[in-house]
Amino acid sequence: MTLLRQTLLPALALLATTTAANAQDMAVAIPEFIEETATSGISTVYEGEWEFMVGGGVAVFDCDSDGYADMLLSGGSSPAGFYRNASERGGALRFEKQQSGLELDNVAGTYPLDIDSDGTADLVLLRVGENVVMRGLGECRFERANEAWGFDGGDAWSTALAATFEDGASWPTIAVGNYIDRREEGFPWGSCTDNWLHRSAGSTFAPPVALTPSYCALSMLFTDWNRSGTPSLRVSNDREYYKGGGEQMWRVEAGREPSLYSKEDGWRHLRIWGMGIAGYDLNFDGYQEYFLTSMADNKLQSLAEVPADGVPRPAYADVAYARGVTAHRPYIGDNVKPSTAWHAQFEDINNDGLADLFVAKGNVAEMPDFAIEDPNNLLLQRADGSFEEVGHEAGVGSTAIGRGAAIADFNLDGLLDLVVVNRWRPAQLWRNVSTDAANWIAVRPGQTGINRDAIGGWVEVRRGEQIMRREITVGGGHASGQLGWLHFGLGSSEAAEFRVVWPDGEAGDWQSVPANAFYAMERGKQAREWRPER
Amino acid sequence: MRTAYRTVAAGVLLALALMAAQPAAAQTAEARAQNVLHTWYRLTLELVRHTPTYSPPVASRSFAYLGVTAFEVAASGRPELVSLAGQLNGFDTGLPEREAGAAYDEAVALQAAMATGIKTLFGNTGPTGQRAIEAIAAKLQASAAVGVDADVVARSEAYGRAVAEHVLAWSADDGGAVVENMGFPFKYELKPGPEHWVPTSLIGQQQVPLLPAWGSNRTFAIPNGASCGLPPPPAYSEDEGSRFYKEALEVYEVSKTLTPEQEAIARFWSDDPMLTPTPPGHWLSITMQILEQQEAPLDRRVEVLARLGIGLADAFIGCWYDKFKYDLVRPVTYIQRHIDPKWQAILITPPFPEYPSGHSTQSGAAAEVLTDAFGENFAFDDLTHQEDGLPPRRFASFWDAADEAGISRLYGGIHYRAAIELGLEQGKCIAAYTNALVTRRVQ
Repeated sequence: MTLLRQTLLPALALLATTTAANAQDMAVAIPEFIEETATSGISTVYEGEWEFMVGGGVAVFDCDSDGYADMLLSGGSSPAGFYRNASERGGALRFEKQQSGLELDNVAGTYPLDIDSDGTADLVLLRVGENVVMRGLGECRFERANEAWGFDGGDAWSTALAATFEDGASWPTIAVGNYIDRREEGFPWGSCTDNWLHRSAGSTFAPPVALTPSYCALSMLFTDWNRSGTPSLRVSNDREYYKGGGEQMWRVEAGREPSLYSKEDGWRHLRIWGMGIAGYDLNFDGYQEYFLTSMADNKLQSLAEVPADGVPRPAYADVAYARGVTAHRPYIGDNVKPSTAWHAQFEDINNDGLADLFVAKGNVAEMPDFAIEDPNNLLLQRADGSFEEVGHEAGVGSTAIGRGAAIADFNLDGLLDLVVVNRWRPAQLWRNVSTDAANWIAVRPGQTGINRDAIGGWVEVRRGEQIMRREITVGGGHASGQLGWLHFGLGSSEAAEFRVVWPDGEAGDWQSVPANAFYAMERGKQAREWRPER
Repeated sequence: MRTAYRTVAAGVLLALALMAAQPAAAQTAEARAQNVLHTWYRLTLELVRHTPTYSPPVASRSFAYLGVTAFEVAASGRPELVSLAGQLNGFDTGLPEREAGAAYDEAVALQAAMATGIKTLFGNTGPTGQRAIEAIAAKLQASAAVGVDADVVARSEAYGRAVAEHVLAWSADDGGAVVENMGFPFKYELKPGPEHWVPTSLIGQQQVPLLPAWGSNRTFAIPNGASCGLPPPPAYSEDEGSRFYKEALEVYEVSKTLTPEQEAIARFWSDDPMLTPTPPGHWLSITMQILEQQEAPLDRRVEVLARLGIGLADAFIGCWYDKFKYDLVRPVTYIQRHIDPKWQAILITPPFPEYPSGHSTQSGAAAEVLTDAFGENFAFDDLTHQEDGLPPRRFASFWDAADEAGISRLYGGIHYRAAIELGLEQGKCIAAYTNALVTRRVQ
C-alpha cells in the first residue's frame, strides 16, 4: 500500500494544517430535509429521448425583486416551466407556475445572467437547436433578444455555459459548450461540434468564435483559478464522444484570441466522462478546489503546488479518494454498480463554516452496467477536510434519475433548500428543516454600471484566522445556474466580517455584521441588512 | 495443420477466379457482403471503446464469437471453407444447416447474423451505442437485400439469425458472459506479501483487480488457460544485485531518459480501455485496414477475422491465468517503495497484476496468427489512432509491431522486461493452437 500512502500523505498533511483552526469535533450536524414537491406546485418533467439524455437544468434567480428565488425548469422536449416563488419566510415552499415568455421547448440548460446590466436578470436558454437569450422585462416577464442583442443562437446540441465580463467590456462574454452532431446516427463518436465564445461588441454580441478543438463539453466555468484577476475557462468534456481530447482550460484575456493551457504550462492530461464542475476554496488557501463529476468515479482537484511567489501552474492533484468524495457507487440499497454523477455544487448546508458537496445522480438512460437506483449524494465536510455521506439520512438521497440542480434558500430562513431536475420524472424540491443548524449570513453584492451582479468577484467571510472565500460565477454545475444570495455558514459565531473583492480587483472594506441575516452589499457603501417583506 | 491454412493463398486465387466467372449479380452480392462485414466490424470497434464493461479481455471474447459467427455463415455456403464446429472447445453439435437446394443470399444472411450477435454482445452499451446499432442494422438490412427475392431474403435472414443464436448459446456458459461492476469483483482479498499486486489507482472501483477469474474461462482453441503457462517471473527481491531489482531499475532509468520516439511508442500502444478500441481492438483494426487495402474477398475476410479473434481471446485467458497465478507487484509500486518515492509511470498502470504483460501476450498471438495469414515480412502502416491525433506508424512485419507493442509497456513504465519477453512467447505458444485450426480445404 506504499503507493497509496505516499499519494495520500501530502493531501492529508495539507488537510491537517489548513483545517487545524477549525478542528473541533469531527462529528457533523446532519441536516434534515423534507420533500415538498407535491405541495410546492412544482411539476415540470425533463422529457425527451436520446437528444435529452444530457442536460436538464434549472435556473434560480429573483425576477420580481422580492428577494425570493424564482426558478425556471428545463422541460427537454416539452416546454420549460417557470415558477414564481410564493413562499413565506421560514414556511413551506410554494411556487406558482405562470407564463413568463420562457416556455420554449427543447431547452436543455438554463442560466440567469444580467446581460444588459439593467439590474434585471436575463436568461440564456441552451437548447437542442437554436440557443436563445431572453431579456428580463421585470415582474418575471421575458422576451426573445437574439436579434436585438446580435446573439447568434446557432443550431447545435448545446450543453454547457459559462459567462464572465472581460476587462473593459460593456457586455458579457458567454461561452457555450456543444455536444455531438445530433444528426450522426451510425458513427456519432468523434463528431463533437465546436464550442462557441460569444464576446462583446459594444452593447451587443460579436459573431461567436469557435473554441477549437472542442470535445463535447458538458460543463464550463469561468474561474480565476490562479487569482490573477482574469478568469480562465475550464471545460469538462465527455470522453464518450471525443477522440484525441481531454479536459481543457482556456486563457481568455481581453483583446486576445483564446488559447489553451498546455502540458508545457503544467496542465495535465485528464480524460473523464466530464459532466459537471463545482469550485470552492475548501482548504482556505485562497485557491479553489474543483470537483468534476463523471461516471464510476469523480475527481476533486487541488493545486498540486502553490509556490511561494503565489503564481501556481495549472497542475492539479486528485484528492477525491483522500477526502472521501469519489462517490463512485450508490451508498444505499444492495446495488453496487457504479454511479453516474451530474450536477455538483458546494454549499454549507449545515452552516458549520465548511462547504459541503451535493451531487445529483442518475443513470444516463437505462444502462445496465450502471446503477439504476442511484441516490443523490450529500457529502458533509468534516473538520479534517474529509467528507461524510449523509444523503439518505438527510432525506435527499432520491433515485429519480437526477440531472441539474440548485441549492438556494427558497424560503429565506437561513437554511439552504434544494431543487433537482430529473429525467422522465418530475423535478423534486426539498425544504431544509434542520433544527440544529448553526449561524449564517447571506450576501448579495451589487454594483452600478456594467456587471451589476459582480460576476468574477469574490465574497470573503472572516472568522478569526480563517477566511472563507467564494467566487461569484455564472456557469459550472450541470446545465444549471443561479443568481442571488451567497450563503455562508458561521458555525457558532454570532457575528461575522465580510467583504467583497470586486471583479476589477478592488477589495471593499470589511463589514462587521451580526449573524443570521441577509446583507445587500452595494459597492462603495456599507453593508445593508435586508429583510423580506413577507 | 498449419499447411492447411497456408492453402489460403491458393484458395483466394480460386475464389477470385470463380468470382470473375460469376454473373454480375453474384459479384454484387460479394460486395454487399463485404460491406456488411466491414461496417459491423467498424461499429464493433466503436462499441468496444464506448461500452463500459469492455476491458481488453472482454473485447477479445466478443471478437472471437463475432468472428466465428461470420465465418460459419460464410463457410456454410462455400465448399472451400471448413466449419470450426468440432474444432473449438464446446462448439460441437447443432450448428444450423442450410436447407438443401434452397437459395441463400450471403450478404443478407451475414447481416442478420452480425446484427443478432452484436445486439446481444453489446446489449449493455449506452443509448448512443444502441441508437447506432439500430441505425446501422436498418441501413444494412435494406442495402443487403437490394435485388434479392423476398423469399431468399426471409430464408437468409432466418439462417443468419439461427447461426448467431447458436454461437451466442455456446458463448453463454464460457465464464465470461456476465461482467458485473465493469469487471471489478465485489469482494477480493489481496494476497499478503511485498511481491504481490496492490492497487495502483485512486479510483475507488479499482481497489480490487480486474476480472480475477478470467483465466478459468473456457478457451477456444487451446485446451485451457494453463495450456501455455509461463515459468515464474524473476524471483522477487529487494536486493539491489537481484535480477528483479535490476528489471525495476531498468523501467525507472528508461523513464528518466525517455526519448520522444520511445514516448510516442508508449502512447501509440497504450490502447486504454474506454479511450481506444483496446489492445485486441488495435490488432483487429490493423487487420481490417489490411483487408480493406487488399480488397480481400469475403471468404478471406471472415477466415482471417475469425482466426484473429480466437487467437486474441485465448491469449487473454492464458495471460490472465498466469497473472493471477503469480500476482506480481507493478513497477510503480516497487519503484516508489525502493527506488524513488515520487516516481510515476507515464501511462496509466492497469488495475491488475503485472506478469505477464497482457498486451505482449496478445500481440504475440496476433502477430503469429497474422503472419500465418499474410506471410513473413508483411509490411504495413497502422492508422488505428489517426482520429485520436496519433500519427500512423509503419512496421516491417507483424512481429515488428508486436515487439514494439511489447517494449512500449516498458517505455510506459507499467511492465518489467521479463513480462514483455515471456508474454510475447506465451502469445506465440497460444497462437500455435489457432494456427492449427483447419478453416480451408486442401486443394
